[in-house]
Amino acid sequence: MAEKTTPAVSLRPSGASLSWRQFKAIVRKDIVMELRTKEMVTSMGIYALLTMVIYQVALSQAGTAFDPRDIAAGLLWLAFVFTSMLGLNRSLVHEKDQGCLEALLLSPVDRPVIFFAKAAGNLVFLLIVQTLTIPVFAFLFLQGREYGGDLWMIPLALLGGAIGIAGVGTLLATMSVNTKGKDFVLAVLFVPLMYPLLLAAVSATSAAVLGGDGYVQQFWSSMALVAAYDVIMLGAAFALYEFVIGA
Amino acid sequence: MTETVAAETLAVEVRELTRTFGARKALDKISFDLPAGSFLSIFGPNGAGKTTLVKVLTTLTPPSDGTAKVSGLDVVEDAVGLRERIGLISHNPLLYPDLSAEENLRFFADMYGIEDPADRVRELLIAVELDHRRLDLVHTFSRGMLQRLSIARSLLHAPEVLFLDEPYSGLDPHAVEIFDSLISQIRKDHTFVMISHDLAKGLELCTHALILARGKIVLSAPRSEIDEGEFAATYRATVGTGVA
Repeated sequence: MAEKTTPAVSLRPSGASLSWRQFKAIVRKDIVMELRTKEMVTSMGIYALLTMVIYQVALSQAGTAFDPRDIAAGLLWLAFVFTSMLGLNRSLVHEKDQGCLEALLLSPVDRPVIFFAKAAGNLVFLLIVQTLTIPVFAFLFLQGREYGGDLWMIPLALLGGAIGIAGVGTLLATMSVNTKGKDFVLAVLFVPLMYPLLLAAVSATSAAVLGGDGYVQQFWSSMALVAAYDVIMLGAAFALYEFVIGA
Repeated sequence: MTETVAAETLAVEVRELTRTFGARKALDKISFDLPAGSFLSIFGPNGAGKTTLVKVLTTLTPPSDGTAKVSGLDVVEDAVGLRERIGLISHNPLLYPDLSAEENLRFFADMYGIEDPADRVRELLIAVELDHRRLDLVHTFSRGMLQRLSIARSLLHAPEVLFLDEPYSGLDPHAVEIFDSLISQIRKDHTFVMISHDLAKGLELCTHALILARGKIVLSAPRSEIDEGEFAATYRATVGTGVA
């Protein structure tokens, strides 16, 4: 072995700049690994597309009088919720399986930094899947139909919902990663906790798709609920993460 | 492991340390000191509490009762500061298989806030003779190469105390030779705490030895005071009777 292995290594004093460096490193690492393995986005994307196919079969006998726009928002969010559960579980299981979570916890990183970094990575993957899914959904169900609301509202509603899903999902995935039936545990915790967010996100997305009287007001009041949910749940996750990840 | 050593020279101080999991006591009021620069080998049967002890000392598991200090820092009160002073080499390499050797070390360099990480990473890759494989993904590495990279990861931030959790597990004889060579070259700069099932190897390396069983210390002594035959008999009795 070469002569110098233990020199006086300079460590940056802990503080906001170190936390920011650690945050960027975790997000970059998750994205680089996903670009190489394509495990999460591929499995989530295929699952979302299969859900679209099932929707099409389920609605095939609905008749011409049925307007898919009426339930489009609900269908979309249903697909996103189930798809996200698949991906969220993988994000922590991958870390745990390799024992790398232990190495991460051994480093002088504040636990909330790990939370925000893992949640940010999950948000990126969710947004990619949403971006891939929306055109397929529009092609299968909304082709030739007019949008009653404003198109720009749709990505805003999707972003607000995805932030909540990524935040709460990352916290719950961390809680469930050490349990035996992690998929079951995540689902049992995730769906009830997501209920208020789903109601608000579906309402906002419906307003954007359907339009009608007072749709702008409905959109913004729903988005206010989405934002409030995101802030409260991210705050709770921030406060709880040290306990959860150390348990 | 003595109580007469001045406090500032102690690398590890453990007092009445207890860790319970439900009704089971994994560690039961254990106390010992380890002077800085020492090499402690911990022996014991499966379930004796060895890994729990290392997890407490490395801040991965909080103690239920009692106190423990490593490099003078409390494992609970000063956990973040303590993590800058310790390293862990496990039988599990704790590396990301889908990142290259260099990416792995750069990632952990960022976690520790190391200034000039590129230089430090390169220096360590050369030191563990993996510089020629620095761009290769870790999942293509042999067990011995993984362990060498694991040593580089654990030395990135120049820790004062290194914990070795069954580091020889799964290594072939050649890899053991390389691993021993690496450890011997960094030995004078570090304090070591090693878990081992290999009595001969553990006693060969250590300056202090300790046998744990059922979460209690059965035997603890400096290497110079240990009679290998008696020590082996105690160890065999502990393991053989299923004390754990």
